[in-house]
Amino acid sequence: MFSNKLNLWFLSSVLISFLVIIPILTVSLSFFEDTSRYFEILKNTFLYEYIFNSLSLLVGVLILTFILGVGSAYIVSFYKFPGVNFFKWALILSFAIPPYIYAYSLFAFFDNYGTAFTILRNIFGEGEYNQHIPKFDGMFGLILSISFSLYAYVYILARSSFLYQSQNLIELGKNLGFSKIKSFFSVILPAARPAIVAGLSLVAMETLAEFGAVDFFSVNTLTTGIYNAWITFDDLAFANRISFFLLLFIFILFLTENLSRKKAKYHLDSRGGFKQKEKTKLSGVNSFFAFSFCFLLFFLSFLFPLGQMLYWTIKFPENLFDVNVINLLLNTLYLVTLSSFVLITFALISNYGNRVSKNKTLNFLSTLSISGYAIPGVILAVAFITFIAWFDNNIIKSLGFLSIKKVFIGSILGLVIVYFIRFYSLAFNGIKSGYEKINVSVDESAYLLGYSKRKTFTNIHIPYLRNSLLFVVILISLEIIRELPITLVLRPFNFETFATTAYISASEDMLEAAAVPSLFLILIAAFFITISSNYILKEHND
Amino acid sequence: MTKNFLEINNVDFNISGTTKVKNVSFSIQNEGDIICLLGPSGIGKTTILRTIAGLEKINNGTITINNKTISSKKIHMEPEDRNISLAFQENSLFPHYNVEKNILIGTEKKSKKKKKINPKEIINFLNLKKILNKYPHEISAGEAQRASLARSLVSNPDLLLLDEPLSNVDQSFKEEIQVELKQLLSKSKITTIIVTHDSYEAFYLGSKCGIILNKQLKQFDDPYNVYHFPNSVEVVNFLNRGILIPAKVISENSLENKDLGIIQGNFVKHYPNGSDVKLLLQPEDLEHDDKSNLKLEVVDRKFRGTNFIYTLKTESNLQIPVFVHSHHIHQHEVDEKFGIKRPIHIDHIVCF
Repeated sequence: MFSNKLNLWFLSSVLISFLVIIPILTVSLSFFEDTSRYFEILKNTFLYEYIFNSLSLLVGVLILTFILGVGSAYIVSFYKFPGVNFFKWALILSFAIPPYIYAYSLFAFFDNYGTAFTILRNIFGEGEYNQHIPKFDGMFGLILSISFSLYAYVYILARSSFLYQSQNLIELGKNLGFSKIKSFFSVILPAARPAIVAGLSLVAMETLAEFGAVDFFSVNTLTTGIYNAWITFDDLAFANRISFFLLLFIFILFLTENLSRKKAKYHLDSRGGFKQKEKTKLSGVNSFFAFSFCFLLFFLSFLFPLGQMLYWTIKFPENLFDVNVINLLLNTLYLVTLSSFVLITFALISNYGNRVSKNKTLNFLSTLSISGYAIPGVILAVAFITFIAWFDNNIIKSLGFLSIKKVFIGSILGLVIVYFIRFYSLAFNGIKSGYEKINVSVDESAYLLGYSKRKTFTNIHIPYLRNSLLFVVILISLEIIRELPITLVLRPFNFETFATTAYISASEDMLEAAAVPSLFLILIAAFFITISSNYILKEHND
Repeated sequence: MTKNFLEINNVDFNISGTTKVKNVSFSIQNEGDIICLLGPSGIGKTTILRTIAGLEKINNGTITINNKTISSKKIHMEPEDRNISLAFQENSLFPHYNVEKNILIGTEKKSKKKKKINPKEIINFLNLKKILNKYPHEISAGEAQRASLARSLVSNPDLLLLDEPLSNVDQSFKEEIQVELKQLLSKSKITTIIVTHDSYEAFYLGSKCGIILNKQLKQFDDPYNVYHFPNSVEVVNFLNRGILIPAKVISENSLENKDLGIIQGNFVKHYPNGSDVKLLLQPEDLEHDDKSNLKLEVVDRKFRGTNFIYTLKTESNLQIPVFVHSHHIHQHEVDEKFGIKRPIHIDHIVCF
């Protein structure tokens, strides 16, 4: 019954892997192509700056997200203080703020005659405050924007690891006479290392892929280099050549993470030997500090950008009428629905195929398929265009067919295909984790009770996976609502989302106008985060 | 054509490309018979069940039920078409159904058998009434195992395969279930293969027992024969209910050990006089006698409720187990001397 012959799930896995391989191959092959003289010019001028800036940004963001993410996760996991249950949830709301919206807020607040200036003037009257207000732009502003937006990756993973750390392990530290600080560094932190490294890897990949905020602060990184090479110099080959450097970066990052972790398992399974930790109740000054740290982080990561966008929307209400909110909402929903449907269908087929076929090739293809998440959106978009152009010129036209460029470039179809490559791992892993909770013997019991494979799938798997599917839809929605570079490059003419509208306004120096779409984006994203928070923050492994 | 209900001929049982048990042949003669497969963990007992159920394929040999080949190199009947039920050792309940629905789903299976099994009866006997509304993640491993057993039973299969069915069930409840399970299976005429590593469970439930060791089916026989007439040293060691001591055959019905002297009885197999053999000495073979002049030193004493098992040391350092009823008038402490009744007579002498 577990045949290895070609079947639906095998073919779909091959198709998905092929889709993911296209950008990687295109970028790699383009590296050896002749490019225009811009490459020579840039190699002698900006290329090393791109690399240096990308590295500096990466290091800065990793340090800050580590401190914010691990620090907050430690406090809410190990201590009881007023508001801890609120902060446990509130600290993930920063996911609703994409780095580029944070960047707009940061700039607007500290800009000359910006919001900070207005606050000071309202309190203290007229004065020369601008010279005393710090300016958070350039690289520093960028590091802050990305870190406050992404630290929640580290927070969520570190927190779940802290939660499942065996009480025995912590008690062992106490027994050996370790102080709290020594326990933290010698027992708690090393045990949570894989989770923290996993969180930091996600942050690193997102940082290298970040486009909106980097572009806004005019910091030249590899990502903006790719975009500029394509948009400004109209040089796809050069864009691909820079992409190759960026992919190398990401590949090294992947390798380092895997090598450093190997097969080590640092925390105990929750089944057997797991004892729920008793949280230490804080009082007095300690309680105040814990509360203040969490509140400040919540304020800076969520309330501050939300407040800034809200303030501008209220201050410039005319912008509300300039933006067709209903249209943007429908466009976003359209993309979300279509992408979710395609992603979930293929992820279900692939997961089911892996489950019943136990085929090693299929397993390899699945692993390959999910690597699209590591490829920055800009690269995906540019590589997709390169591939379609090549395919159109060399295959389609030589066969005498009409050009297919318009079908894939600047179309919803092209957009959904590239979203698919980028977000397939979300759908695949989300469904996979649901499947992992169903023992294989459950399927076998169903067969032995006379169920066909189809009946097992529809009557056993789907009802049980319902919650996982819902969660996957929410994750995909969140990503698509916030996504910028792919949508910007591949969207059809006059088709806008909240993200592209905000970006276009900001890039035209109309930050106030960017507030309305940004505000809606934050509110919709926060809504999705809130309804999925039980999943994200679950404390039981059931 | 074979007349046996189930026939397994020269089958290699494989899982994930590894052969777990080689060249196995055994049969179940009548519908309604119960057989047990015994062996240490990881030896391949579960693989045998999975293969019979159709969850694994075979490359050689044949498996037939009622003269119909269900597995061979060329034929593989799908599990859903076999009317064979397998109760897994681990929790295999459908996670989104409550216990009641999980059990009743077994009744949906189309069984050709005329005699139906009443789910209520099964639920009562397996003491599942209290947890019918609970979901699989809300019940204990033992309860899940009983619910899984109930589901298999109500599906009224042609062949029921039970993988360590009572391994998670409380000891206090285990014996009660064993009795009722045996009665129910025999009343319903459900042919059953039970896999277990508990020899007492196997000896009680099975009309035949198969011992699987070192990738082979070493012995397939009545429980009495398996216990009293083990056919190899490996089976003796696995059952762990006696020791092998050196002895010399001195006549047609006696042999001699340096420490115990002459031992009389009926040889199961013939050995020429003067042969050096290893004699199987089981705890029941020696009798206690305080007045005997054959005294051995007590090195250990295990209290087993109805009996004690004394371990006695001989002059040549052999450690011999001896069974004594716990009602015996006085107990012997470690280091004390313990008398063995002479002459020693063993009903059936098993040697290797």
